[in-house]
Amino acid sequence: MSVYEIRDMAIQIDGKRLVEDVNITVEPGKCTAIIGASGSGKSLTCLTPFGLTPGTASGSIKLDGIELASANAREMHLARSRYTGFVFQQPLTALTPHLTIGKQLQEATSQAGPQRLSRQELALMLERVGLSRADERLDQFPHRLSGGERQRVMIAAAIAHQPKLLIADEPTSALDASLRGEIMALLDGLRVEHGLATLLVSHDIASVENHSDDLIVMDQGRVIESGPTVDIITNPQRDYTKRLIAATPRLTEPAPVLPVVGDILMEAEDTTVLFPRPGWRQGKIEAVADASLSVREGEAVAIVGGSGSGKSTLGRAVAGIGPLTSGTIKWQAELLPERRERSLAMRKLIQPVFQDPVASLNPRWKVGDIVLEPLRNLSPELSSPERNNKLAQALDDVGLGPEYIDRVSTSLSGGQAQRVAIARAIIAGPKMLVLDEATSALDPLVGGAILQLLAELQRAHRLSIIFITHDIASARRLCHRIVVLDAGHVVEMGAMAEVVENPKASVTKLLIEASKR
Amino acid sequence: MTAIPTLLVIILASFFLMRLAPGGPFDGERPLPPETQAALQAAYGLDKPLWEQAWLYVSRLVQGDFGPSLVYRDFTVSELVAQGLPISLTLGGLAILLALLMGISGGLYAAARAGKTADKTIMTLATIATALPTFVTGPALALCFGLWWGLLPVSGTGEGWSWLIMPVVALALPVSGAVAKLTRAGLATVLKQDHIRTARARGLSETTIMFKHGLRPALVPVASYLGPAAAGLLTGAVVVETVFGLPGLGRYFVQGALNRDYPLVLGVVTLYAALIILFNLFADLIYGWLDPRMRDE
Repeated sequence: MSVYEIRDMAIQIDGKRLVEDVNITVEPGKCTAIIGASGSGKSLTCLTPFGLTPGTASGSIKLDGIELASANAREMHLARSRYTGFVFQQPLTALTPHLTIGKQLQEATSQAGPQRLSRQELALMLERVGLSRADERLDQFPHRLSGGERQRVMIAAAIAHQPKLLIADEPTSALDASLRGEIMALLDGLRVEHGLATLLVSHDIASVENHSDDLIVMDQGRVIESGPTVDIITNPQRDYTKRLIAATPRLTEPAPVLPVVGDILMEAEDTTVLFPRPGWRQGKIEAVADASLSVREGEAVAIVGGSGSGKSTLGRAVAGIGPLTSGTIKWQAELLPERRERSLAMRKLIQPVFQDPVASLNPRWKVGDIVLEPLRNLSPELSSPERNNKLAQALDDVGLGPEYIDRVSTSLSGGQAQRVAIARAIIAGPKMLVLDEATSALDPLVGGAILQLLAELQRAHRLSIIFITHDIASARRLCHRIVVLDAGHVVEMGAMAEVVENPKASVTKLLIEASKR
Repeated sequence: MTAIPTLLVIILASFFLMRLAPGGPFDGERPLPPETQAALQAAYGLDKPLWEQAWLYVSRLVQGDFGPSLVYRDFTVSELVAQGLPISLTLGGLAILLALLMGISGGLYAAARAGKTADKTIMTLATIATALPTFVTGPALALCFGLWWGLLPVSGTGEGWSWLIMPVVALALPVSGAVAKLTRAGLATVLKQDHIRTARARGLSETTIMFKHGLRPALVPVASYLGPAAAGLLTGAVVVETVFGLPGLGRYFVQGALNRDYPLVLGVVTLYAALIILFNLFADLIYGWLDPRMRDE
């Protein structure tokens, strides 16, 4: 007997059909996962039947006997408060900021009836989802908890009223890589223990393949493939599914053949970055402590670590776009001064690409102006036709045609925007790129294509690359060497193959485990 | 932490600005003989260098001595303030309460019916209320309720509390309009946020969602408006007290300024400034209650 059954569902927003022909069955104690790129309609599919999106759903949507497509207010109230629990993507914002954890748990418990739990019972609920110091947490406000802790609270609240169906919309996407496995394992355990029917939504096929019984692949509002997860992963039928599986970097895939490296280009020694503590407190925060690394010509070096490990700060200090408290940075044995004192020729050498492509492009500028900006500043001697030649060349290098020159940056997709950001970075002819989580915010298919593009550019221009990421599997597709950072200190460094094969530091082991998912 | 220096700067600035204005406290229609003038000046220390006078004033103020009034010769400034302050505080306090009550409930109702007629009507009324100055609404109220319909006393403090109604309403109207707009805008932002979706997913009613999960964070802009609004209510009270003939602080403030009664004006300014600073501190405390995240910033 299935708990939740969707037959021939379609979803409309403002008269536009965004989702069509969706069939989903979820059984008690089983997990059905919906996979798709952003915009594929997967979140709409799981939230619209409960009236949590602006859309309206038609077709047949049966939740334990209630027909949600034609439910009245009382039935909808019942469906939300009794039968279903929700876990959302953003644990940072999904909890009410001015209510304590205890109050929100109490509310979640009483949604199915006017029962009140004692403090001990509430604390026990938090312990069951793996939160330490549970009693103390009850009086805390959500912002005092970390992202992972908040997601545990969300899960505790979602199952507090003993629902039959749990809907988890990208429950781990916003979390640190090393936490994702733990949260998925928690969901697995609760599902089995309580016999919960689980509907899981994710853009990342690798994150659900070991945690779901059935898989539904969506693309552009339609289900293009569905069936048992094992069958789809081992034997995908549709081309889109095959590409989706291939695009996700895995540590089990054969190591790529990387270009030959030359002499040492850049050497950073004893890099230290201190930040003042916020507020009135005295002292400094040591974001990066005595980190040393070198990069050769044509070599890609990965800087990996969890969030807050100092990997971005180190990358920015090296690239000359962030603060540097002490230490030396040499370029071909010549000392590079502090960022503001670098000459135009020095600034040209290293160019950055950031994580959020849309946020890192000026929304009011056209693509042509965005890409040309470094050239205008760094090579003012060029004539206008020379500049336009370089613009066309740079766009061509990143796989964009000349028709993009007049596009406004807000009209671009995430992948297109990241290509524009890369074109902007390479147009002035740099020797080295610093890529800060350049593929992390992108869908796997798009991110995979960007990794491919970077590998091509690396070969064609003999570019050196510093690749900052939390995902070792992505880094392995591009990088010769790896530097692992933890709490600002370099804890491990070596050839990529060796470190992946035989990790020494516990952080490295954790990150490798997270990359296996 | 910055309250004391701020207060000191305000006092000194007012002290010197007032002395820049021509005339003095003893310039009557009939000029006094020069000897009398000089004697009076000496008696009140006005013949000393300006810096010394400022220093003397501040050092007395620290001991709680606001000095004598130069025009109401038999009274000290403290005595005059003690007469006017209770009336002004009652007026201002009630006006703030009324403004918050009308503004927040209006904003809530409008947000609950966003885009509908009720919403548009309330927002239009709020704009009008904000735009109308008290010297227009005050006399208009007095004309309607006092003179034509004879429901409420037009002037003075009279018996009971009915004399408070019109001044309080006149004072509260502009503030309530602004509060309604801020509440409505705050709710529009907050009701789109993720935690509201979480609350909705729990099957809570829209009313519960609005009051329990939405209202408090939505009132943050109202709290930041409260400090300056308190200032507006206190200084705005000058007009209202004049219109309704109430013996509040405002009257002494205006007359003191016209008569060049230096200690009286300085005393009232000090009091106003202290109250405004106090209100701003209070608003900061309210922030922390409305959104606990701000306590850690």
